[in-house]
Amino acid sequence: MRTTQAGRAMRLAVGAAAAVALLAGCSASSGADESAARTDVNYALPANATPNWIVPLGIAGKLATHNSAIMRTLWEPLVAYDGSEGEVGRVATADLADEITFSDDSRTVTITLDDRTWSDGEPVTSADVAFWFDLVKANTDLWASYSEGRMPDNVTEVATPDEKTVELTFDKVYNPEWLQASQLTLVVPLPSHAWAKAADDDEPDPALAETKDGARAIFDYLVTQSEDLGTYATNPLWQTVNGPYTLTGFTDAGQVELTRNETYDGDDAASIDTVNLLPYTSTDAEVNAVRSGAVDYGYIPTTGLDAPEQYEQLGYTVEPWAGWSITYLPYNFNHPELGPVYRQLYVRQALQHLVDQEQISEVIWKGAALPGYGPVPQNPESDFLSAEQKDNPYPFDPEAATALLADHGWTPGADGVLECTDPGEGDDQCGKDVEQGQKLAITILSQSGSAETDNMFAEIKSTMEQAGVGVTIETAPLNTVLSSIAPCTADQPDCDWELPFFGTAGSWYFGGYPSGERVFGTGAASNFGSYSDETFDQLMHDSTESTDPSVMQEYSRYGAENLPVMWLPNPVYQVSVIKEGLEGTTQDPLASFHPQRWSWAG
Amino acid sequence: MTGLRRFAANRLAVVGAVALLLLVLFAVLGPLVHPTEQVTTDLGAANLPPGADGHPLGTDALGYDNLGRLMVAGRVSLLVGVLAGALATVVGTLWGAVAGYVGGVVDAVMMRVVDAGIAIPAIFLLLVLSTIVRPTVGMMIVVLGLVSWLVPARLIRAEALSVRTRDYVVAARAMGATHSRTVLSHVIPNTVGTVVVNATFQVADAILLVAYISFLGMGVQPPTTDWGAMLNDGISYIYQGAWWLILPPGLAIVIVVCALNFVGDGLRDVVDVRGRAA
Repeated sequence: MRTTQAGRAMRLAVGAAAAVALLAGCSASSGADESAARTDVNYALPANATPNWIVPLGIAGKLATHNSAIMRTLWEPLVAYDGSEGEVGRVATADLADEITFSDDSRTVTITLDDRTWSDGEPVTSADVAFWFDLVKANTDLWASYSEGRMPDNVTEVATPDEKTVELTFDKVYNPEWLQASQLTLVVPLPSHAWAKAADDDEPDPALAETKDGARAIFDYLVTQSEDLGTYATNPLWQTVNGPYTLTGFTDAGQVELTRNETYDGDDAASIDTVNLLPYTSTDAEVNAVRSGAVDYGYIPTTGLDAPEQYEQLGYTVEPWAGWSITYLPYNFNHPELGPVYRQLYVRQALQHLVDQEQISEVIWKGAALPGYGPVPQNPESDFLSAEQKDNPYPFDPEAATALLADHGWTPGADGVLECTDPGEGDDQCGKDVEQGQKLAITILSQSGSAETDNMFAEIKSTMEQAGVGVTIETAPLNTVLSSIAPCTADQPDCDWELPFFGTAGSWYFGGYPSGERVFGTGAASNFGSYSDETFDQLMHDSTESTDPSVMQEYSRYGAENLPVMWLPNPVYQVSVIKEGLEGTTQDPLASFHPQRWSWAG
Repeated sequence: MTGLRRFAANRLAVVGAVALLLLVLFAVLGPLVHPTEQVTTDLGAANLPPGADGHPLGTDALGYDNLGRLMVAGRVSLLVGVLAGALATVVGTLWGAVAGYVGGVVDAVMMRVVDAGIAIPAIFLLLVLSTIVRPTVGMMIVVLGLVSWLVPARLIRAEALSVRTRDYVVAARAMGATHSRTVLSHVIPNTVGTVVVNATFQVADAILLVAYISFLGMGVQPPTTDWGAMLNDGISYIYQGAWWLILPPGLAIVIVVCALNFVGDGLRDVVDVRGRAA
């Protein structure tokens, strides 16, 4: 009897093993066929960062890279710059311009448009370019890419001699490289025949945008529609596209479905029929999805770089995605209590001395972040980078930080946190407008979802508290952080934020030209902390007009030394995991994904 | 058979009590035996495996000694659990006793409040609150206590409904005792068995709730930590084989919750007359 049972058990075991082997064989052999047969891709959105904008007229707080990337799949810009072909440059196949010709005096640029149509069959015309200018010129107070004196202020005339030609006249001669890479790339022709209205029931009238009131009404209407996330997939406005995809699904949780635009007639057509953009509340949750095979193009925490083979065994390629970016914490210079403190250069120098960028990059980010000391991206190095920025004017030095604060009238209070005990404007006093008893206790509002970011701020908190700087760390999803930090004045009730962090995947990505007028220029919409410095403004201004690299180097030096923000290690956009067989995934250093160039091998 | 003997007769209850005592000693006195730096980070000693450089349980991503961290985290978990459980027990007992004793419309209204509160998941309330303010230890004690009193209120109210009809309660009222005196001196003392047993479960539940919130990344501010926060910090390293970051806090939570439940069972044996021999 025992023999019989043992024999039965053995037969069952062998049978089970055979079945498993058979299934494994089947699945292995079908794996390759499966990727060849697939027509969809599942792409993981950044952790705790869901798309929340669609109209390609960004307002403050809506410029997250994934928002921009989705827009670009729906509406092509007038001039496209990206790094999807290996180096950053114009990608003519992905834009609506055919030829771009500068006049001899470089004051006028003539752009002829490709022969293209919108998804409803109407042609893309020069009037659609003029429509964009009309809307943006009338709404510079809302458009998030605005910087005084730059686009659209620097365009004195938009002429449309025929349906396919646009002539832009500038107020003076600019650096053509900057003009093309940083200004013309902002222009996104919009379907005036469908969008030129101020209410759902209105008949579109492109002439409406030609008056300021009309343009403001249209802009308001489009913004209101874009705030209604639940209708993204059904709103007729967003169905009129000219890009390689159409948006066919959008859930409240932030899951997006892009479907190949069957009417697309450009040179950047999609191969993949359906692209699903999947939201996750944390990197850990996303990694679990990667390990289960539910994600084709996702990411892992930097700790995964220690043992990439565990993902390679699952059929993924592990590839860090480096960006042409800088990462920082903006100071709110208009904060009612701490604004005057942040306006003191010696305070910013002391705080910068307390950030151990090398250790944080190496230990916490596992080398997937590199130290950054100024306003010019440092990886890869370029002619724009100054020696001062490269050498780090404020290396990690807690003693220097402590001395700087002590030398300016800050002494530890009963709780160990530094207090201003010598107010005044003298060289050894706290500085202008800093009051007696003001504590040096800062609050960092950090985006949530990343263990590396949490650990980075735990480390900074620890170091700063040893030096007597009180630190409170609050966390919130990326969209919450971005929507709570609009530039403000001290008398506004929402001006109580201090140091926001939105740089887990890099804080700011540049186009082809790393000038910082949109981030650091006085009054710029993305200058969240309201930093204002005449010299820096002038340097940024000069950098847009001159082709001499020394001008940008001077800008780099001044930004590194004057600390308009607190510089932090610049992380890669993500450590990507890409399923084997998925091709065309060259990772754009401008942090945009281009699903139209993806395809499955076979 | 005395109460202590009845408790001792329940082997699991004894094991639970011993385990609880050891965990409290570990958390409270452990740092005296194994002193470590738990405020200042040390990136130079980050991610060390067990045994390296005098760290019996290794270090975490910020260089904190993991054994020492387990001790200080235990203090927070146990402190929040015990105090939140006590607060929930006090509030629930008073609420339930008054409702059961007074009866009628007052009882109906008070218990509908309890029903409404129970219908809202505590974890949901806590997460919403956590998104508004980053909790401190004190705030977590108050908040956890205030979302956990509903179940004891129901239990005590049922007891009070029975106790209020007893002769000694009627006699007290006949002799002129006020309602508040009757509730505090006669009703509540006669529900103490239920209160004590339930309190142990309340503490266990509160410890678990703290762990949930911290595991979801919404717990106390670093460098303060608790066992749930340690789990949350360690989970990123689960695929790197860093078991020392996950297993110890996970085990600590399991042990303390099981121990409290065993002790609660033992106490139930002590106060439950139905199981006793005549």
